Amino acid sequence: MRFLSRPLLGAGLWLLCLGLSAHAAEVTLTVTDAAGRLVTDAVVAFYDKKTPAISPAPGKIVQKNKMFNPKVTVIQTGTKVNFPNEDTVRHHVYSFSPAKKFELKLYSGVPTDPVLFDQAGLVTLGCNIHDSMVGYIYVVDTPFFVKTDDQGKAMIKLSDGQYSYQAWLPGQNKPGTEQKVNIEGAATELKIALP
Amino acid sequence: MIQFKHIRSRIAFTFLTVVIAIQLAGLVPLKYALVKHANRLAEEQMEVGERVFVNLLQHNTQSLKQATQVLAADYAFREAVATNDAETIASALESYQGRIHAQVAYFVSQDEAMVIGTQESESAISGSAAHQEFVQAIIENQTGTLKFELVDGKPYQLIAVPVKAPEVIGWVVMGFAVDNRLAAQIKQLTHLDVTFVQKTHQHDWALVTGTANHELSNLLVKTVSDVYAQKLSLHKVDLDGITYHLKIRSLHETKDEALLVVLQGSVEPYLQDLNTLFKVMIFLTLLGVVIFAALIWYVSRKTTEPIATLVKNADDIAMGNYDKPIQVTSTDEIGLLATALNSMREAVLQRSLRIQRLAFNDELTGLSNRLAFTQGVHQAMLAHAQSNAKLSILVINIHRFKPINQTLGRDFGDDLLRHVGQVLKQHVLSEQDMVARLDADEFAVLLQHADQAQATRFADAIQQVFEQPVQVQGQAIDVQAGMGIALYPEHGMDEESLLNHAETALQESRLKKTPWIVYNTSLEIDQSETLTLISDLKEAIQQNQLLLYIQPKVDVSTRRALGGEALIRWVHPQKGMIFPDQFIPFAEQTGIISDLTQWMLRRACEALADFKKQGLHISLAVNLSTRDLNNMELPQQIADLLAAHGLTTKSLKLEITEGSLMQDPERAEIVVRKLAAMGLHLAIDDFGTGYSSLAYLRQLPVQELKIDRSFVMFMDKNAGDASIVKSTIDLAHNLGLIVVAEGIENELVLNQLAKLGCNEGQGYFIGKPMPEKDFSIWLERWQGQNDIDIDIGDDFNYAVNPLDIEPAPQDPYTLDNLN
Repeated sequence: MRFLSRPLLGAGLWLLCLGLSAHAAEVTLTVTDAAGRLVTDAVVAFYDKKTPAISPAPGKIVQKNKMFNPKVTVIQTGTKVNFPNEDTVRHHVYSFSPAKKFELKLYSGVPTDPVLFDQAGLVTLGCNIHDSMVGYIYVVDTPFFVKTDDQGKAMIKLSDGQYSYQAWLPGQNKPGTEQKVNIEGAATELKIALP
Repeated sequence: MIQFKHIRSRIAFTFLTVVIAIQLAGLVPLKYALVKHANRLAEEQMEVGERVFVNLLQHNTQSLKQATQVLAADYAFREAVATNDAETIASALESYQGRIHAQVAYFVSQDEAMVIGTQESESAISGSAAHQEFVQAIIENQTGTLKFELVDGKPYQLIAVPVKAPEVIGWVVMGFAVDNRLAAQIKQLTHLDVTFVQKTHQHDWALVTGTANHELSNLLVKTVSDVYAQKLSLHKVDLDGITYHLKIRSLHETKDEALLVVLQGSVEPYLQDLNTLFKVMIFLTLLGVVIFAALIWYVSRKTTEPIATLVKNADDIAMGNYDKPIQVTSTDEIGLLATALNSMREAVLQRSLRIQRLAFNDELTGLSNRLAFTQGVHQAMLAHAQSNAKLSILVINIHRFKPINQTLGRDFGDDLLRHVGQVLKQHVLSEQDMVARLDADEFAVLLQHADQAQATRFADAIQQVFEQPVQVQGQAIDVQAGMGIALYPEHGMDEESLLNHAETALQESRLKKTPWIVYNTSLEIDQSETLTLISDLKEAIQQNQLLLYIQPKVDVSTRRALGGEALIRWVHPQKGMIFPDQFIPFAEQTGIISDLTQWMLRRACEALADFKKQGLHISLAVNLSTRDLNNMELPQQIADLLAAHGLTTKSLKLEITEGSLMQDPERAEIVVRKLAAMGLHLAIDDFGTGYSSLAYLRQLPVQELKIDRSFVMFMDKNAGDASIVKSTIDLAHNLGLIVVAEGIENELVLNQLAKLGCNEGQGYFIGKPMPEKDFSIWLERWQGQNDIDIDIGDDFNYAVNPLDIEPAPQDPYTLDNLN
């Protein structure tokens, strides 16, 4: 199993924009599950081996209406994420995931210290007070990643070159098998079918 | 229909039958309803029990689930799980298992990589297939609800609760063995026995656990297997006479596994309660029947007791106890019945007294009757047997009573009888003496302590009384009585023989025309001889033992012989000569007299024919009896005889007595008129002894009157007789009749008669009855003595009476036997 990338999605997009100037390609993605349905919040990460690690910008996951918002978040390794509580009730955010074990004991407002996610992997977020609150953070070792919208589609700009990629379906502990893809030209369409 | 001896039995039977029938009619449906009710109660209990059972399991599940959830939600536990801290997980499970009394507790991670069980659970999951089965169970049981599973051949109730962090990272599974504790808990709540039965792929149906006894459990296992195999829905099973209702519920079922729970309820406890109720009902019914029976017995006894009393009273009446009146104690129907019985008793009493009076009294005279008399004699004999005293019995008969009755009327006869009775009563010797009327004109007297001398004195006294004319209804009438006397103990030792002997003596006195005769044994012999004679008489006619005798008859004034009266004599082969008085009366009674008359007529005609040959033109008179006068053939028979012998009607005369005319006057008159029409000469015989009215005689076609010898015999000495004869002759002449006198025994009388103008006469002085052949001899001698020529012409009237007996004793008999 490989957790390749660290950068957050936003940083990835930014990098893609940079690369666009020199032969950048726009890749349109659709992810389907075993039944052939388009999947929302599916995460796809691209790895090119040559892109150097940069310090990613910090992120945040808001707790509002007793929900993690966004529910699925993709970040690059080394990203600091804050968990501001916008509800009137207090929350006790925790994770027992091996990628990041942490606990924000009962708090309200914005915690003083953000949480650093320095290890690639899936972090499942929960609230000890509210069992229904579930959130996911995909920590990837790459700045190139994308999350499907509610149409099951996503779009990413990548420079031409060889990439390998992995896809996650929400709720799954493990990513799909690593695939190879060659990005050339202006636009590429990528259809990913997960078993 | 059942026969009852007593009404109260019938009443009791009827009412008790109804009562018992009603009770039974109630008890039977009641029993049916009770049993039905018991079954329904049992079934309801089953339903309730099942619901409770289901509820219990749900409740158990719920509470166990909540308890398990507490563990699964514990942050520390989750942290231990998340950090794969097996030791901590195991200790936490153990701690919780103890808290909720689970037999099995373990944790399975979501990726099934980690399975941690408590020490106790090890056995449950140590089996070969245990792990997989558990995993399978959990996968199938994502909802976390109740689940029964067979794990390694043992049944468990499993609860699986997810451990979330916050996604499901594993499962806490708590297992409760299906064991005695569960069964007992179910039983405690449902009051039903519960049995768990399972089938595994290794073993066939087997008992898991249960509260029922061993035997029932075994039966249930077998039953359940059958039911399961045949997919039946059995609801009942019987064991040792007890019916169990069953509810079978499947708790777990796979292809070759099954876990069933069987709830058993028995109807028996309900039935016992209801049976107790039923027994009480039966007891109450029996009690009611007993009380009712006692009441019925009491009431019916009260009702029938007076009836029983009346029955006894009626029995008393039947026994002849009329004296005691029946007590009437009530005014109801019984009282009315008692009153009616009383009236009946009165009536019966009166009637029996009257019957007694009739039985022993002669209503006409007020004297005792024959029955009373024989009883009186019997009692007197009993009394006298000891005292050696004597008794005398007299039987008294009134001569010629019948003609008196007929002539002067029945009232007169009755008065005469009463008078005779009075006379007898007045002359008895003592108070104890008894006078009775035995028959129409026959009386009897019992003289106590009287010997023969006293008895004959009494008879003489009676005789003297009757020598004077008796005054009845203002008329003087001559009564002659005959008496027979029998003495006790000489003439008989019992009343019947005494009476018979007295009667015999009486008959003898009639025959002998004596006032009384004392019985002696020679009379008895005579009578028996008489009886023998009767039987011999028919033979005598056939064998010609009879002889024709002729008693001559003459003209009183000229003494010329006119002819004679034909008489009969019987020469018996053993007894010699028998006179008519010994057999004529009986011949009349038996009817043989007709044969005798025929014989006489024939013989008289033969004799007349002989005389005619000898040149003697005389006539013979033949006596006719009552029976002859009733024989309508007689005129023709006589005509035939006369013709056969060449005789005219003038040579034969016929004599008839007053009495013979009286029996059937109409018939007799027809015969007499026919005979007269034929030209036959008819004479009235024994005139003066009967009571014929001359006026009646005058109407008859008779030419001659024969005065009875009793008036003639002593008329020379007795002026009274002479005057009777004189007046009779005058009367007869006035009526234009020839008068013949009988019983002329001396010349004086003959001359006297001649002076009185009597036409003809007969008697010993003229000639005794003689054999036919001697008649011509007498005729010669008579003519020689009287110096008259034999000139017997047609104008002489001869009367020859063959039955003119001397002394003529048959008259009383003839009269007596008019009937």
